[in-house]
Amino acid sequence: MTLRSWRKVGTPMNTSPKLRPGLWDALVVLVVAALAVSCGWTVWDGQDRGTELTAVVSVDGAETERLPLKEAAGTERTIHAGGYTLRLRLTETEIWVESADCPTQDCVHTGHISRGGQSIVCLPARVIIQLEGGERVDTGVDAVIG
Amino acid sequence: MKLTTKQLTLCGILTTLALALSVAENQIPLSLAIPIPGIKLGLANIVTVFALYVLGPAQAVLILLARCLLGAVFAGNMNALLFSLMGGFAAMGVMILLSRLRGLSVYGVSIGGAAAHNCGQIAAAVLSLGNTAPLYYLPILLGVSLLTGALTGLMAACLFRALAHTDLMKG
Ligand SMILES: [Zn+2]
Repeated sequence: MTLRSWRKVGTPMNTSPKLRPGLWDALVVLVVAALAVSCGWTVWDGQDRGTELTAVVSVDGAETERLPLKEAAGTERTIHAGGYTLRLRLTETEIWVESADCPTQDCVHTGHISRGGQSIVCLPARVIIQLEGGERVDTGVDAVIG
Repeated sequence: MKLTTKQLTLCGILTTLALALSVAENQIPLSLAIPIPGIKLGLANIVTVFALYVLGPAQAVLILLARCLLGAVFAGNMNALLFSLMGGFAAMGVMILLSRLRGLSVYGVSIGGAAAHNCGQIAAAVLSLGNTAPLYYLPILLGVSLLTGALTGLMAACLFRALAHTDLMKG
């Protein structure tokens, strides 16, 4: 099939698309950027500050366990959910999934999380481990952008 | 909608291309920045942009549906289906609207689509997990969509420019 014959294929276009970015495109960029910043303010500023870093474990959307890292440091936890088993390890500043028998292993590959708001997700087991509290989260933004 | 053999062939080719792009972007370690399984960059949106302008919304939707379903079958992962459907159709809806605005180029349309794609994916994550934790990564993903949108816009612009000489674009 030659390219020439394509024009008969589709609905003919009324106008050819504009191929050079213009002022209106800059407006779209501005709107998306503004959305990102305002989302950042709401989501990241909403985190509790100055409280103890706590790992909140949810299974199937329901909270099952709260682990203040200071108290639980050095321990190991096992979560049974959705027919899978996740082994958690904790230190005073970090939490991570040491091993899991889920098929995707995303939760293990996420590695260590250490800031309020961050989470580890295991879709097959439907488990979320989210950190709450801790210091200002702004550093998290720098780490991602930088 | 009745499709001719040629239309069907073109839809098939574009679906294959979209699938290939979906597989290719799995190699990008996005999970390092955004540890939510199922979230993708959305490079396959380039096919949606192209199909939307050349074939029109109806066939673009067909291609998108086929890509999402086949992608889930190949990955053997039904979790991924909700993510690609919600991301893909959010992008489709926004791009159909934006492409009607005369002032916007393919760049603006692609960036708007990429932002909608990522909002759709986060919504899918929140829905499938029953937890708002994924919202934490929405600002990052919106920032990322500026880059992926500009990239798909650039690819679309190059494609359209190359095809202009074939008088495909003169409708
Ligand atoms: Zn897992």
